[in-house]
Amino acid sequence: MKTKFIKACALAAVAAMALTACGGNSSGENGGSASAPITVVSREDGSGTRGAFTELMGILVEEGDTKTDNTTVNATIANKTEVVIQNVAGDPNAIGYISLGSLKDGVKAVKVDGVEANAENVLSGDYKVARPFNIATKGEPTGVAADFINFILSADGQEIVSDGYIPVNSEAEAFTSDGSEGKIVVGGSSSVSPIMEKLAEAYQAVNTKATIELQESDSTTGMTSCMEGTYDIGMASRELKDDELAQLTPIVIANDGIAVIVNPENAVEDLTSEQIRQIYTGEIADWSELSK
Amino acid sequence: MKSKLMERGMEFVFAVCACCSIAAVALICVFLFANGVPAMAEIGVFDFLIGTKWAPGNQPAAFGILPMIVGSIYVTAGAIVVGVPIGLLTAVFMARFCPKKLYPVLHPMVELLAGIPSIVYGFFGMAFLVPLIRNLYGGSGQSVLTASILLGIMILPTIIGGSEAAIRAVPESYYEGSLALGATHERSVFFAMLPAAKSGILTSVVLGIGRAIGETMAVIMVAGNAPVIPGGVGDKVRTMTANIVMEMGYATGLHREALIATGVVLFVFILLINLSVTLLRNRGENA
Repeated sequence: MKTKFIKACALAAVAAMALTACGGNSSGENGGSASAPITVVSREDGSGTRGAFTELMGILVEEGDTKTDNTTVNATIANKTEVVIQNVAGDPNAIGYISLGSLKDGVKAVKVDGVEANAENVLSGDYKVARPFNIATKGEPTGVAADFINFILSADGQEIVSDGYIPVNSEAEAFTSDGSEGKIVVGGSSSVSPIMEKLAEAYQAVNTKATIELQESDSTTGMTSCMEGTYDIGMASRELKDDELAQLTPIVIANDGIAVIVNPENAVEDLTSEQIRQIYTGEIADWSELSK
Repeated sequence: MKSKLMERGMEFVFAVCACCSIAAVALICVFLFANGVPAMAEIGVFDFLIGTKWAPGNQPAAFGILPMIVGSIYVTAGAIVVGVPIGLLTAVFMARFCPKKLYPVLHPMVELLAGIPSIVYGFFGMAFLVPLIRNLYGGSGQSVLTASILLGIMILPTIIGGSEAAIRAVPESYYEGSLALGATHERSVFFAMLPAAKSGILTSVVLGIGRAIGETMAVIMVAGNAPVIPGGVGDKVRTMTANIVMEMGYATGLHREALIATGVVLFVFILLINLSVTLLRNRGENA
């Protein structure tokens, strides 16, 4: 028994030494084109952002009836935009992608094919990594829901959208409320939520009799709850699927760019779509391979 | 007469309360199996359980959860390796070695450890353990090792609490008898009392396994969640719980059912664990 205990102690000591010995060759501070393995951060399967990103970057390969998402299996999977940001902000060697409107300090957006990721470039079509934001209603909207949708699509609403996102209608007319009263529930995609929050706030300032409750979940929950009647308006950061279209009417309220982000310590400023595809499929696994 | 009626009435209330929890378990079972088993049948039981490729977005989709099953087992085993020695020795210390003045401090601390929400553990792991492992071990820092250490800490209260109670339950005569035979304090504790508390300690370890395998939020934040069988302790790992909670939000159709079927597999694991707890307890009582 006593020898067993000593053995266990010795084992623990060896393990501890092995742990420290393995250090040293780690990447540490020097990110960028220095030799360091790339930490690929992706979103979970089924995420609207991942769907759009893999399709636009050619990571998703369609051949006839088959579709294959070639994202490297070694990618870190984060289940929220915020978590992607945290992962990239905390790791000098990480790369990730998020909604352009959610971009914040702590991470750096790289140029894609030499084009900077901003609203103007998405609107002009130069920045290729973009997708629509949808809202959906079950049947014809009435009362506050209809008035709110009119607001979103009016010049006032689209001006709010243009802060970070790309408006769908630049020639919309100014908004006049029909004065509907009541409370509606808007819910769905966490990518659409930030802009919806601003829209709801501005709308409630115009029409003080209306109350809008915002619930953040995800695209599919947004659509399902809308079909079930829990939400008056559902939000989705992707195109609606066929079974959803059967019951819901979608409206595009904005377009959104997808920013490819790296740690601020990373020296990389510009990536081509081909490089991004190779990084995400695992063909390029080290930052030093980029310069070749 | 009135008191008799009251008696009957209250008996009924208690029976209803008892039935509530039974009904909850029964409903969960029915829901899980009704939704999960057809999906397993559609995917194919073997493709599902021993398939190594998880790609629900592909056409044709692949729903193999072996990486997640193995991931859960690895991480849980890692947590046991980290948590059991520390927890057991802490329990021994608290039961037989702790100075009287220190105990009132130490005991609430351990209780507090149990009360910390798992998301807070997750933040701790993400902000402290992940960078630490990245600097020591290389890679991204999100790995089997990180998840194991974090879970090892999280199961400490379960193991300490259960083991301490088990050691305290050993009759004092064992200790005294051992001393009388000339053994030291340490020797008496480790070789007379610990073996006598064996079944209680094992029960606490199995309960710890149950906690580790079911843990979700904290693991997601430090494990990297790549759906691939990890080749070493520095590799990323996705557990069954992580698989379910990460993808449920966006999943539709068969993908959603496959996630519920993952829940069925997890449920079976938990059943086995609970069954072994019951067996251990019974054995302990009979011994």
